[in-house]
Amino acid sequence: MTQTTLPPPPEPPASSSFDEPKNVEAKAMIVLVLLGCLIVSFVLYVMYARGVFEPTQKLTLVADDSSGVIPGMDMTFAGFPIGRVRQVDLGDDGKVQITVDVQSKDAKWLRASSVFTLESSIVGETRLRAYTGVLTDAPLPANSTRTVLRGDATAEIPRIVATARALLENLETMTATGSDVNASLANLSAVTGRMSGRYGVLGGALGGDEEAKKLMEALDRVNLILAKADQRVFGKAGVMDDTQAAVRQLDVVLKDASATLKKVDAVLVEAQAVGANTRAATEDLGALRGEVDASLRKVNRLVEEINRKWPFAASRQEIKLP
Amino acid sequence: MPRTSPPIAQPNQWLAALARYLRSWWYMIHLGAVAVVTAFSPAIWRRESFHATARHIHASTWQVLPWFALASSLVSLVIIRIVLVTAKSYGLSGFALEMVVRVLVLELIPLSAALFVALRASMAFDASALGLARAGLSLRAASDESLRQLRRDLVPQLIANAVAVLSLALVTSVIVLLLAYLNVYGISPWGIPDYTRTVGRVFAPAVTTGFVLKTVAFGLAVALIPTAAILELQRYPRLLASTVQPGALRLLFVLLLIEAASLALKYI
Repeated sequence: MTQTTLPPPPEPPASSSFDEPKNVEAKAMIVLVLLGCLIVSFVLYVMYARGVFEPTQKLTLVADDSSGVIPGMDMTFAGFPIGRVRQVDLGDDGKVQITVDVQSKDAKWLRASSVFTLESSIVGETRLRAYTGVLTDAPLPANSTRTVLRGDATAEIPRIVATARALLENLETMTATGSDVNASLANLSAVTGRMSGRYGVLGGALGGDEEAKKLMEALDRVNLILAKADQRVFGKAGVMDDTQAAVRQLDVVLKDASATLKKVDAVLVEAQAVGANTRAATEDLGALRGEVDASLRKVNRLVEEINRKWPFAASRQEIKLP
Repeated sequence: MPRTSPPIAQPNQWLAALARYLRSWWYMIHLGAVAVVTAFSPAIWRRESFHATARHIHASTWQVLPWFALASSLVSLVIIRIVLVTAKSYGLSGFALEMVVRVLVLELIPLSAALFVALRASMAFDASALGLARAGLSLRAASDESLRQLRRDLVPQLIANAVAVLSLALVTSVIVLLLAYLNVYGISPWGIPDYTRTVGRVFAPAVTTGFVLKTVAFGLAVALIPTAAILELQRYPRLLASTVQPGALRLLFVLLLIEAASLALKYI
């Protein structure tokens, strides 16, 4: 094996500092200090950006599926990030537990009635959002656990496809030859064809011009009857005139009856007075009878006295009263 | 110059080639470990040693930082505009900023900084290494001398290259973050909370750690591999059978490996 040796050396430089620039040590120090500052400020900035210096409160969200949820993703409220996912793990009950650090200064937006959603779209990242309907509710306490609602656009696709397929099958059935829709359309066509005949809609509705013609004749007859009835009822010397006269007579009769009733009323008043007088007279007869009875008893006593004291008592002649 | 057929065509030398290959990697790793330990020893930060380090930092960082930052900013500006306009046209502008930060700051800028420093370091190192080789020193023969050499020349070089990669990557990253903000929100302070939140979301702890480790690994690879290759060349001169810059292929391979490992850890 042939060895390749180094080329013969040229003259070595006399000194390593023959082209020494000025202030190399100061410049090197500047570079080193700049590098140190950059590293420190970069680390501090990244820590600040990661929210290391922010006071936070913990919130645990429980979901069925963790797909799309990664530590570090934001939780937004009205589009503004208010929290950051710190940890995603599977709980003992098989549910996904998403631990979110909510910045204390933004925790006021979360209330006891807040709703949390996890939305996945077809394009783009999964979004974790908070909605608060009533901002006057009690604030969400720290370390609370809430269920997260999942809205997945891609999860809807199979259902949409199944529905669309059923819809298309129905449409196909409807538009097939001999289908109900086609039969209905044919019937409609026949009806509209009849409608365009001499009797128009009437012919279409009744099923033909003959039927329509009969109906027209029937209508004519009805019209005739109506005209005659009109003449008999409302015409001259018709039923209505007679009725009117009868009504007038009835009015007169009613007035007479009213006058008669008034007279009867007066007679009754008088009869009432007669009755009253009769009652008074009957009361006087009672007193008179009493007085007659007393007189008779006095006369009886007088007769008995005479019979005892009269000299003709032996003969026992009695005075006889009439 | 008579040459034999390459070892790949001689099965009886496959084992020797494999041993040489593994020895070469081991030499590089060993040298790297020694250099890193030496870099953290207080002696290297003494006045006289620091002067050499400062000279290398001046050459590898101070002189190139403005131009590299300017060029990277221009290219980044173009990429930011392309990403923003494309995302806007698809109605995905909400994701544009995150994509810019992920693609530029996390991936492209550290890699381009490492490649830039590697290119410059290997070019700068070549001449001095060859000069060192000319002295005819055998590292194995004179270990004291070699350690002294390492401390005097190679460790400052290593430190300088690592600092260069970190500086270029970090400074350009900061500029790109500012450019991205200005492009998305304009000259307005009202986007800062939103922007900060997006940056915070991108730089998760694992990602940040990966970013820092990757940048440091880039810096070490760039600093170490060309140096080790040239020292190995000095130690085993017969390996210089190729006209390719020593260590260049290995450096590219290692950079690619680091980048791939970082991507795999981050996204798989």
